[in-house]
Amino acid sequence: MHIAGMGVVFNRGRGLDVLEKALEDGWVMPDSGYRVLPTTLTDKVALKEARRADNLSKMASLAAYDAFIDSGISNSVKDNLGIILATAFGPHVTTFRFLDDILNFGDAGVSPTLFSHSVHNAAVSYIALNLGSRGPTLTMTEFAASFHQALILAESWLTEKRCEYILVGCADQTGEVMQYIVSQKLKVAADGKIKPFNLASDPECVPGEGSAFFLVTNNKQYHKYAKISGLDVVSKEDPELLILDSDGMTGDERRYLKQAGKARLVSSYAPIFGSFLTLSGFSCLVAALSIKRQKLFAPPVCVNPHNLNLCKGTESEKVNRINCLRYDCNNRELLIRLEVN
Amino acid sequence: MPVANIAISGLGLISACGKNIAETLCAFTDEKRNAGKVSLFKTELDYPVFEVKDFSSLSCGLMRTLGLTFYAVRAAIKDADLENDLNDFRIGVCLGTTVSSQLNDTDFYSEYRRKGSASMNSVDRFLKSNLAQAVAEEFKVRTNFCTTIVNACSSGTDAIGVGLSWLRNGYCDIVIAGGGDELNRVPFDGFGSLGVVSKSVCAPFDRNRSGLNLGEGAGIIILEKEEINRKRNKKPDLFLNGYGLASDAYHLTAPRPDGSGLEKALFFALGEAGLSPKDIAFVNAHGTATHDNDLVEGKVLSRVFGKEIKFLSTKGFTGHTLGAAGGLEAVFTALNLRQGWIPKSPGFLSLDEDIGIAPVAEKTLIKGKFAVSTSLAFGGNNSALVISRN
Repeated sequence: MHIAGMGVVFNRGRGLDVLEKALEDGWVMPDSGYRVLPTTLTDKVALKEARRADNLSKMASLAAYDAFIDSGISNSVKDNLGIILATAFGPHVTTFRFLDDILNFGDAGVSPTLFSHSVHNAAVSYIALNLGSRGPTLTMTEFAASFHQALILAESWLTEKRCEYILVGCADQTGEVMQYIVSQKLKVAADGKIKPFNLASDPECVPGEGSAFFLVTNNKQYHKYAKISGLDVVSKEDPELLILDSDGMTGDERRYLKQAGKARLVSSYAPIFGSFLTLSGFSCLVAALSIKRQKLFAPPVCVNPHNLNLCKGTESEKVNRINCLRYDCNNRELLIRLEVN
Repeated sequence: MPVANIAISGLGLISACGKNIAETLCAFTDEKRNAGKVSLFKTELDYPVFEVKDFSSLSCGLMRTLGLTFYAVRAAIKDADLENDLNDFRIGVCLGTTVSSQLNDTDFYSEYRRKGSASMNSVDRFLKSNLAQAVAEEFKVRTNFCTTIVNACSSGTDAIGVGLSWLRNGYCDIVIAGGGDELNRVPFDGFGSLGVVSKSVCAPFDRNRSGLNLGEGAGIIILEKEEINRKRNKKPDLFLNGYGLASDAYHLTAPRPDGSGLEKALFFALGEAGLSPKDIAFVNAHGTATHDNDLVEGKVLSRVFGKEIKFLSTKGFTGHTLGAAGGLEAVFTALNLRQGWIPKSPGFLSLDEDIGIAPVAEKTLIKGKFAVSTSLAFGGNNSALVISRN
């Protein structure tokens, strides 16, 4: 699958320029506490059909819209444009608001708008509405494996010719209740900083949120960033870089040591985005950007007790292959391989 | 790409209509409709529902959705004669749901609001309730092809469609596919707020229909490459031939009035199966009994298949089981093809002139080998499956 376009919304803002600047600036404590600022979620054009949407739908709509525009693919393909969204927890903030209605006003006093926005596929519906896309649309959830499963399905759909172009992406959000749950179930970093190379048995996380989207196609003509060439397949040739999704969300991170210890170069960008189960999509964004720009971005936090070969800086490098690695809570190794073409 | 034939080698189901195939067929024949008051949770709303009676979740501490789904999966695996061999094959698990994907426990949230803290028991239960993952764990399936589809009311149908893609792309030999959902207070209140729930027992496609009834259950099919099935010395009689999915890009909850999304999904599924509309013996329609759904869907069925098409909505037997609906209706479609008849479309009495065609008003013999099952959903999803028998 060729990546023809990309879009991103995260705590520092929206767009690939903002992402690239964040990667170059390195770690800073976000003003928003790893939340996406409300001002980021405003765009009269991109959100023309999503004025009533909740934040999760707006994040996904903006990232998907940007990926579509970035691809330069003509509007005329919209009958042939599929959408696949991976989300670990869906619109839980809206769900809790709906529960507020039940608790405050009883069964008969709830808001139909909140209910219709509390279903997981509301975000994809808004993306389709905003873009006028009439192809297949699907939302899937498999916790930490969600984005990986979405890529597998995108590859299947393209092979089967269910559509010629697919917007495949991820979106997850945080909120007061989710932050409380995370604080009870996981260890939260007191300094607000994920240290992805600690690779400890009880790692620390910092809940974050955002959305990353890719426009993928088998049509080489639209190749712009990189090719997603393997899922679950360990490359025979060593990649130049291994990106770890060690964000403290899926338990014992010593599992990463086996692969990280033998990698030529290792990095992780979790400290920029925050911790969430669909982080893999954001790692893929950075990998694709690195391949496109032919440069490697330094990891934003470099605490390195295991002496891994960390990627040093942002100087130009020959970058042909990058692997992104995630372990889920069931100890499955989820690998996404990107290549130059 | 050469297209593998995909057999349906096992069926499992549970709904208000029956806890197994025999009970279900009996209810179809006897036109039994087990609708009644909600007993699973307290509510001030007085809408009839289709609950599965005398069923308690077998696995302590898990959501009811999982209990229903495990029950149907166990039956389907037994029907496929795979009880002892599951891990001899590359298995996938793809299931649709709505309720079990959501952290919507009112007790947990109420406690959190009151005290600023709450017991993690509900959260732990939720984290164990990703439907596909839970099934993989319960049945000790080792797989990297495991996902839960959350496409609202078409989730079950779409899960079966994703399973078909995995098999055709060579990722798996066998896929456990379908959907499950419990009757739950949150969608009960939510659909009530939308004004689409009927205070009487639902009447899909009827002129005087007044809305849907909610239900619960699980419908599971075992999809298997025909070559694998034959290597197991089986002779498959049912097949999944095609799947189509298309978006309305129109509205969050209402179907596109011209029905073009559903039409596109139907033609894609038929094309994938190498069929034309005249090959279809009957359609198990989504048929929720809401004004808009039935109007749009009925017109599309008429336009695509002609006015003589035999169709029904089994939601008059099960209620709208949300994420389970596509799974249950695929099982019903397969069963009816095998049996050579479809039941009366329950609740239907009089033609809606605006729709222009009527569902079957009595138990009807079926001659053809191909049938279609449709699902429409929030978000403008339209899905269709083509199922066949030898």
